[in-house]
Amino acid sequence: MSTVTPDAPPTTGLTEGALPVEGPGAPAAAKVPGATSKLWRGRRPITPGALSGDTVWHALIPFFVLSFVILVAPVFAPYGSTDVTSAGALHAPTSGAWFGTDEIGRDVFSRVLIGMRVSWFSALGVIFLGTIIGGLIGAVAGAFGGKLDMVLMRITDLFLSLPAPVLAIAVVAAMGPSLRNTLIALSIVWWPWYARIVRGEVRALAARPHTEAARLAGVSRTRLVLKHLLPGAMAPVIVTMSLDVGNLILALAGLSFIGLGAPPPAPELGAMSARGLQYLFGHPWVPIAPAAAVALLALAANLLGDSINRRLDQRTTR
Amino acid sequence: MTDTPVLDVQDLHVTFASPRGDVHAVRGASLRVMPGEVVGLVGESGSGKSVLGLTALGLLPAAPEPRIEGTAMLDGIDMVTAAEDERRARRGTYISAVFQDPMGSLNPSMRIGRQVAEAAGGATDEEVAQMLAATGIPEPEHKARAYPHELSGGLRQRVMIAMALSRHPRLIVADEPTTALDVTVQAKVLELLADAARERGVALLLVTHDLGVAARICDRIAVAYAGRIVEEGTCAQILSEPHHPYTVGLLASRPKLDGTIAGGDLPTLPGRPPDPRNPLAGCAFAPRCPAADTECAGPVPNHALGERRDECHHPGVLTRWPEGGPHAGRKDPILLKAPHPAQAPAMIPATPPDPAVVVRGAVRAFERPKPFPFAKRPEPFYAVKGVDLEVPHAGSVAIVGESGSGKSTLLRMIVGLLEPTEGEIELGPGAPPQMIFQDAGASLTPWMAIGKQIEERLIALDVPREERERRVLATLEAVGLPGEAATAVPRALSGGQRQRAAIARAIAVPPALLACDEPVSALDVSLAAQVLNLLCHLRETLDIALLFVTHDLAAARAVADEVVVMQQGEVVERAPTEQLFTDPQHPYTRELIAAVPDVTEVEVAA
Repeated sequence: MSTVTPDAPPTTGLTEGALPVEGPGAPAAAKVPGATSKLWRGRRPITPGALSGDTVWHALIPFFVLSFVILVAPVFAPYGSTDVTSAGALHAPTSGAWFGTDEIGRDVFSRVLIGMRVSWFSALGVIFLGTIIGGLIGAVAGAFGGKLDMVLMRITDLFLSLPAPVLAIAVVAAMGPSLRNTLIALSIVWWPWYARIVRGEVRALAARPHTEAARLAGVSRTRLVLKHLLPGAMAPVIVTMSLDVGNLILALAGLSFIGLGAPPPAPELGAMSARGLQYLFGHPWVPIAPAAAVALLALAANLLGDSINRRLDQRTTR
Repeated sequence: MTDTPVLDVQDLHVTFASPRGDVHAVRGASLRVMPGEVVGLVGESGSGKSVLGLTALGLLPAAPEPRIEGTAMLDGIDMVTAAEDERRARRGTYISAVFQDPMGSLNPSMRIGRQVAEAAGGATDEEVAQMLAATGIPEPEHKARAYPHELSGGLRQRVMIAMALSRHPRLIVADEPTTALDVTVQAKVLELLADAARERGVALLLVTHDLGVAARICDRIAVAYAGRIVEEGTCAQILSEPHHPYTVGLLASRPKLDGTIAGGDLPTLPGRPPDPRNPLAGCAFAPRCPAADTECAGPVPNHALGERRDECHHPGVLTRWPEGGPHAGRKDPILLKAPHPAQAPAMIPATPPDPAVVVRGAVRAFERPKPFPFAKRPEPFYAVKGVDLEVPHAGSVAIVGESGSGKSTLLRMIVGLLEPTEGEIELGPGAPPQMIFQDAGASLTPWMAIGKQIEERLIALDVPREERERRVLATLEAVGLPGEAATAVPRALSGGQRQRAAIARAIAVPPALLACDEPVSALDVSLAAQVLNLLCHLRETLDIALLFVTHDLAAARAVADEVVVMQQGEVVERAPTEQLFTDPQHPYTRELIAAVPDVTEVEVAA
């Protein structure tokens, strides 16, 4: 049996000698020649090729810029989302109301701007929730393996098998139609993908020698997962998140188009085009403006996702 | 030889653009291969040897767009300037290639036979079987129906050779064809390659980092360093009277199977190859050369006499590499053993110190998967079948054997990464054992700074926070790394530096036992010697016992007091190092020793 004493006196071996030390119990800031204190404790080192924090932030800059624009755009909207303009109902686009007015005289341009903000940030919210839930479950499953892994992944599979619209109908039927309930339904079907990605990455990393080396060095299990495994799963997760924004915007618009989103007065892009459909031939701006906004958002999200993918994908930068 | 050469490279320059400046991979190399000749192109990583080989094949990657000057004449066309379809026409018919990784070169979803037939430009099943049989593949008709993953590494490489020979080329370029193979397989594949080439009168350009491999089969050897061919001559000339100090150093730093046991004082080449971004004007080797003087900064001379050629300012000035190199006998003051608190007062231990590890009857079985559901579970696979082993306090034991011998499984059980199925592993007192992995890059967490990773081990053993930084820096110094390495992530370090960093983490708190799994097999010869010296040095200064798993008998000989030979999970022979090499008992041991590519052997033959 092992007779290891893990708490062997740490003074064995490496001792001062060439290094001047001010006697025993030297102050914490004992000066080492040629080294500033906290030398290696600095922020993430920037190394070409390595996926440092800076690389991630740089790749995400365009994303933050667009999010900011979408966030503040409604400030410049001429009207509120439920304000009725003086132009009257179903007025064609003018210089005052760029996208015309809808069936009760509300400014379509203002409603689209506000609706875009709702869509964009709802999508981000679902993704972040999905990443947190899925990441946690995936990390635990991947790091521990065995029975726990099997149980967690079968639960994940169960959720993966639920079709989003059916689940949304069930949630809305049970809890009533609202944006919140739609988002809950989407989150339930979305997190399993993240659980799978994180588990796969963590398992692959756990099989690498660096995990074994860290274990031998005595790194605790929590620290092993947080410092030696999860950071390696960051790049694929961020790439998936960014590519998913477009998908979620479409999913959200789809659900709200079939009436499973927020109830009427809310400026939701899917619902707006659904209700506007009946005016398609006489007053096409009413359904087309929100539909075009959905397409624009999804396109922008996908382009950004692609650019992030190109920058972070280690297979291509290596 | 008045024939026209099959390959004639003249004053070749290859430069790659990189974000951090141009990389001058090849800087004016000239090389000729005559018909039917076997030429070894030897050099360490970064010497430009592979780039030269790829240029001859017209296969340089287009991605980091290379700028190529000079000529590489092949069958009357210049592979540098010729159009891609012209180059492609030469490949396969006039020139063939065998690469290091046959798995990467074979199509995983196509049967071997079809791939060979395709390479031959169409062949019947019988012809394919003949080609496979000619490379020593048993049951060729049967193997032709196999997929690449169903074959062993040695057989795959034979398939590659069969494909390379299939169109009767005049020249084969083999880039490290046996590096990934076991020693005994390596020997067989090398001989096959050389014999096949000689029989058919095919010229062979063997690109390798291992002078021993080249010495085994080549007529002529060209030594590459920093993008130039620094010396060229017949095999015997290069080995017995090298002119260039770099060749002398290469020959010296290779652990040998005879002569005195180095015991951590293997001669090493000091320093590192020059940065290919800033090549030196004069002799590129001068900064590392013990015989360099001011003249060496001048333009590189070219002494040519028949087959013999060198680029040294003082050819032949160095006949023996200075013993030991600069690290020999150096005792790091910071690493001198600290008196153990309990031992410091004159408490002479009455009994010898406990062994670092005692293994009794260790068995490790691996379950095999069921072939189909509800099948009876097959017999488990026994990787280690009852091994006894003892590593004395501060001793050094090497376990040698080929892949599949169970040596790594045994090592992993000893350090605690695997539970033994049966048997006991009793560790001696002191900090728990640490392990050095073959691939140092993979054993370090890629996104974490080296200093952080060393610190983690200090944290694990409760070293107080205020002491850690100093200890990290002292440890780095002990393994010969600069203090700045603490802030670097592994990718910023070179291969040798990474292995040093991994060693630093292992010895930050000196363990009683340091288990090394092929610690130098991924390193260049001169770096390997440095790391072996470092390990021996640490063993002496820190009283660390070494358990050294390797397939390289010469390396085992350089570091171990005792050698244990394993085959198929069992110990077949164990003996003190000197005795094992002078008087091997088991036939398998003899086979292993005979398979080692040894430069001295050829010297005698030549």
